[in-house]
Amino acid sequence: MKVTVSLNVNGEAWELSIEADRTLLDVLRTELMLTGTKTNCLEAECGVCTVLVDGMAVNSCTVLAVTAQGRQITTIEGLARDGELHPLQQAFIDRGAVQCGYCIPGMILSAKAFLDEHPSPTDGQIREALAGNLCRCTGYQKIVDAVQDAARVLRRERRR
Amino acid sequence: MSELRTVGKRVPRVDARAKVTGTAVFAADFSLPGTLHGRIVRSTEPHARLVVIDTRRAAALPGVRAVITAADIPDVRYGGALKDETVFANDRVRYVGQPIAALAATSQAAAEAAAAAIEVRYEPLPAVFDVEAAMAPGAPLLHPDWETYTAIPLLKREGNVCNRARIVAGDVERGFEEADRIFEHRYTTAMVHQGYTEARAALASWDGSGQLTVWSNTQLPFEVQNTLAEILQVPPGKIRVVVTAIGGGFGGKLRVGVEHFAALLAKKAGRPVKILTTTEEELVASYPRQSTVIDLRTGVTKDGRIVAKQGRIVFDTGAFAGSGPGVASVATLVLAGPYRIPNLLIEGLAIYTNKTNCGSYRAPSGPQASFAVESQMDEIADALGLDPLELRLRNIVRDGDEGPTGQVLSSVGLEECLERAAAAIGWGERRPAPGRGKGIACGWWTTTGGSSGVYVKLNADGSVALSTGAAEIGSAALTGAAQILAEELGIDVADITLVSADTFATPFDFGAQGSRTAFAVGNACRIAAAEVRRQLFALASRELGVSEDRLALGERHVSGGGERIALADLARIANQTGGGIIAHGTFIAPPTPYDEKRVEAHVYPAFHSPSFHAHAVDLSVDPETGDVEIHRYVVAQDVGRAINPTYIEGQIEGGVAQGLGQALSEEIVYRDGRVLNPNLTDYKMPTAVDVPRVESILVEHPSVVGPYGAKGVGEPPNIEPPAAVANAIAAATGVRIRSLPITAEKIVTREASACR
Ligand code: FES
Ligand code: FES
Repeated sequence: MKVTVSLNVNGEAWELSIEADRTLLDVLRTELMLTGTKTNCLEAECGVCTVLVDGMAVNSCTVLAVTAQGRQITTIEGLARDGELHPLQQAFIDRGAVQCGYCIPGMILSAKAFLDEHPSPTDGQIREALAGNLCRCTGYQKIVDAVQDAARVLRRERRR
Repeated sequence: MSELRTVGKRVPRVDARAKVTGTAVFAADFSLPGTLHGRIVRSTEPHARLVVIDTRRAAALPGVRAVITAADIPDVRYGGALKDETVFANDRVRYVGQPIAALAATSQAAAEAAAAAIEVRYEPLPAVFDVEAAMAPGAPLLHPDWETYTAIPLLKREGNVCNRARIVAGDVERGFEEADRIFEHRYTTAMVHQGYTEARAALASWDGSGQLTVWSNTQLPFEVQNTLAEILQVPPGKIRVVVTAIGGGFGGKLRVGVEHFAALLAKKAGRPVKILTTTEEELVASYPRQSTVIDLRTGVTKDGRIVAKQGRIVFDTGAFAGSGPGVASVATLVLAGPYRIPNLLIEGLAIYTNKTNCGSYRAPSGPQASFAVESQMDEIADALGLDPLELRLRNIVRDGDEGPTGQVLSSVGLEECLERAAAAIGWGERRPAPGRGKGIACGWWTTTGGSSGVYVKLNADGSVALSTGAAEIGSAALTGAAQILAEELGIDVADITLVSADTFATPFDFGAQGSRTAFAVGNACRIAAAEVRRQLFALASRELGVSEDRLALGERHVSGGGERIALADLARIANQTGGGIIAHGTFIAPPTPYDEKRVEAHVYPAFHSPSFHAHAVDLSVDPETGDVEIHRYVVAQDVGRAINPTYIEGQIEGGVAQGLGQALSEEIVYRDGRVLNPNLTDYKMPTAVDVPRVESILVEHPSVVGPYGAKGVGEPPNIEPPAAVANAIAAATGVRIRSLPITAEKIVTREASACR
């Protein structure tokens, strides 16, 4: 059965008629064609599908789209502002934290939700925060370093 | 050599921005208007006669556009060294997960409903799940017709044995007579998955003229093109394979994965078909790393010289040969080890069992063989009362020594790797506290050969397009190649646009495998760059009136004799008058000479431009829980020449992480032919909290063949972790675990039994 859902994704409002049992991941990727959010295990085990819902990192593969109604959804496509990369994105490039790139959108969004709450984390806290995001390429080290770099930039921006 | 501008620098990868903004298009993301959802129906029995496959009910369901089984397609056996595989099971199934039918429907839900509606009836056959049982006389044969299959002639096959490769050097029995001590051990390793985060995916579409285009996340587009031609009985010239961004491969995306199902379904349905593998399918029916059983018998003198080694490594290759015959060959070189041993008898066998068809995974055979060799080195050292590092230093190969098959080794950085890794980990204190210990392991690996071609074209703005048939699987190898091209042309990597892997548009490449991409594509770039310079100088000489030998390239200009002209101007002139500036560069690694008398049934008899490496780890084991905590991990790797240190570190850090998974937690668990853990909850890959900071030491003993001296770097970091960890655990606990993975449970039970 189809239901009407209004979603706010990256600041844009969408009115969609979809089956009530469809996941947010499915709707983002196939209805809105926002394929920056990745798909893999569909069981909340790998984190490649991570998006922000009201600033919180969630696995969109296990969230029903209808439950995201009325909330602010941010995907990787919504992170850069006017072509300017978010400090996390820039730090991931500068640190060489990107290899195949498939885990990276989810990784960056998990890191963003975490840094919003913990502006001055230890490496260990970053690792805990990212433990739900699998990366098979990097061994996580350059990712942790990139998150630390971004945290520094964000702290400086906040002080300004 | 004058100061290099780009080679050796930490230049950001060319595809970084697309990947951090979510705009890189992966195979899983790709779609065309009207695309159908494809799905594969798989066997639920490990070995059985197929009595009935009834697809009628499924085909009549709403939304279903195509259903196919073996009856609908050409009867073809395909494969690598041994052509034993069919697209669908025909009269019998040989493993749980083997494809029986495929279908395409207008929605995922319709495809699932149709899959459930296909009726299959089986008549079970005796199955075999263990390599030793499969080799025993009278064992059930997986392929009763094995003799009729096409294979490369040099393989040695017999029943369930699909290859038996050998190295024979000196006289191993005489060697054992000279030995003061002989050590015999058995080691085993489990089946593990590459664990790429993007599952195998492909979209296939036929046009009205009978041309097929496949978008895929394959590592080997040209191989897939040829395999599709075989399966579809269509000339390769009608098959275009385009590689999308790839969410990791590690060898799991070498061979045809789902491309053939998509192509067959798309043909039947008359519409594009996309297939994206599920996680369960990945863990049940992909091309994982073979489990092995390894026996080693090693003879040494009292002062720790190895005088003889007899070894046998048996690979469980599953229901089809897959990469087995080749992997069994490569394994013999790793099992011999990077040591001077005058008398060798090493065998590698690939055995059929009723399990999924295994394939290649980053340094195929490396981690398994290294686990055995390097564990035993420590066992020998302990028995002789020698320091394990010292035992290695007494036996390792050095410049001018022969490898196990007689290749003469040069630029061997192994001693430096061992010394530096040991120094960094603080080897002097091997057991710093109760329950804490350090381990070391070393090894060698190849830089795979095969040919590479590139086109290098000058764009109208003076920038350069580099077109390569090699895929970028994430290692940044193509960024390395672009750095080499930039260096040769005096431009920046930012001036280079990369066009990668389209079997119609880009030149041939042997593929993103075997640590070869930056090496081979980089060399092809050097050749192409020389030709671009020649063309540029000829044109600039005419334009400037300065003789070619006085011209130089740099800062996006050709200059000389007080004159200069911009590359953009030269491009414009060339485009208007001579079809533009374009060069074709090609490279193939020269053959590595070896002693042919020493090998039998061997597909990979020598290591090209071998790399050398040593890993050292410092860890603690909790005696109650068996939990392993890694304090420090050091890798010293002889990379020949570091083209881009950042991404080489990335390869090392990532390879170690995967290796730690294989060492401590990962296993595809089979019981009676069924996978018990086909999900990411129970198949445990390391997360950010499990992997330590890895310290990389880049050792540079330049290869004479490699571009700027580079050697292959991608696979090696995956080889030594299981051995290094096993040795450290033994140092910490006094307990030697000879089977992978070394789970907490194994440590605790063995510790308990050791104390009794
Ligand atoms: S796809 Fe959502 S967690 Fe894996
Ligand atoms: S970069 Fe490939 S999975 Fe993380």
